[in-house]
Amino acid sequence: MIPFIVAPPATGMDARSTTRASHGDDWIIIRVASALSRPMPNADYSRDLDLHRGYLMRVARLQLRDEAQAEDVVQETLLAALSGSGFSGQSSLRTWLTGILKHKIVDAIRRKQREPTVASAFGDIDSEMDIEEFDAMFNPRGAWAAKPADWGDPEAALNQRQFLDMMDLCLEKLPPNTARVFMMREVMELETDEICKELAINANNLWVILYRARMALRLCLEQNWFSGKGTPA
Amino acid sequence: MIRNALGHVISCKDASRLVSRREDAPLSAWQRLVLRLHLAVCTGCARVERQIRFLRSAMQKYRQ
Repeated sequence: MIPFIVAPPATGMDARSTTRASHGDDWIIIRVASALSRPMPNADYSRDLDLHRGYLMRVARLQLRDEAQAEDVVQETLLAALSGSGFSGQSSLRTWLTGILKHKIVDAIRRKQREPTVASAFGDIDSEMDIEEFDAMFNPRGAWAAKPADWGDPEAALNQRQFLDMMDLCLEKLPPNTARVFMMREVMELETDEICKELAINANNLWVILYRARMALRLCLEQNWFSGKGTPA
Repeated sequence: MIRNALGHVISCKDASRLVSRREDAPLSAWQRLVLRLHLAVCTGCARVERQIRFLRSAMQKYRQ
């Protein structure tokens, strides 16, 4: 039986979606279903959704660290957005899509947790947690080894495209599990107890991971963006 | 001098941890007090405090 899935017309999709076929047959089934199903979604709406695909992919990739899985959850998100009538126009389209993506990613992480091989991969968080160079931020007495720089007025950077690109680079440089936890907290906006439950870690571990993520991002932005922008430390 | 001594009940390492934890969980009254005393005398940590708050607004922007 052909599943009833409404997909956008092929012309509305970018090249990446076409490569989707290489991961399995389901995309072809979706294509066929799309040719058969009526009514077709509004073409403008599909195009609007597609504009957000790049962003959704970035978030999913950082979160799942697996290209095929990231494509899957983004695909599911866009399909859900196309077939559902949930968008009320009260929030921005991107916020709404991120909300759907959040559930898809949480589901994917839950599935991952059940696979023993991947579940143990999350155990690597321990090895990410005792990186010695991290403690080099402080001298043995716990004072800053190098005094944090003055960033001047950092809010001004928020309107610059290049700054957000730099944020992306810095996020990608985080150790995988650290980045995943940070994204769950700051992009998916999960509460700390939800994250602890999902990943089966205790609150103390979570705070340490988030602390390391923030300090690493701070340092990365300082070195690559804010150095020389404020008064030298 | 007393102000300085009070400010160093906790180290910069502890202070930066508390600044981060505050984003995720409420601090105890004691933690709030020693953090406040430390931030009053430590420029480095005061900068980091502002930068951690900035990170949060940067991530908000990133989401939009």
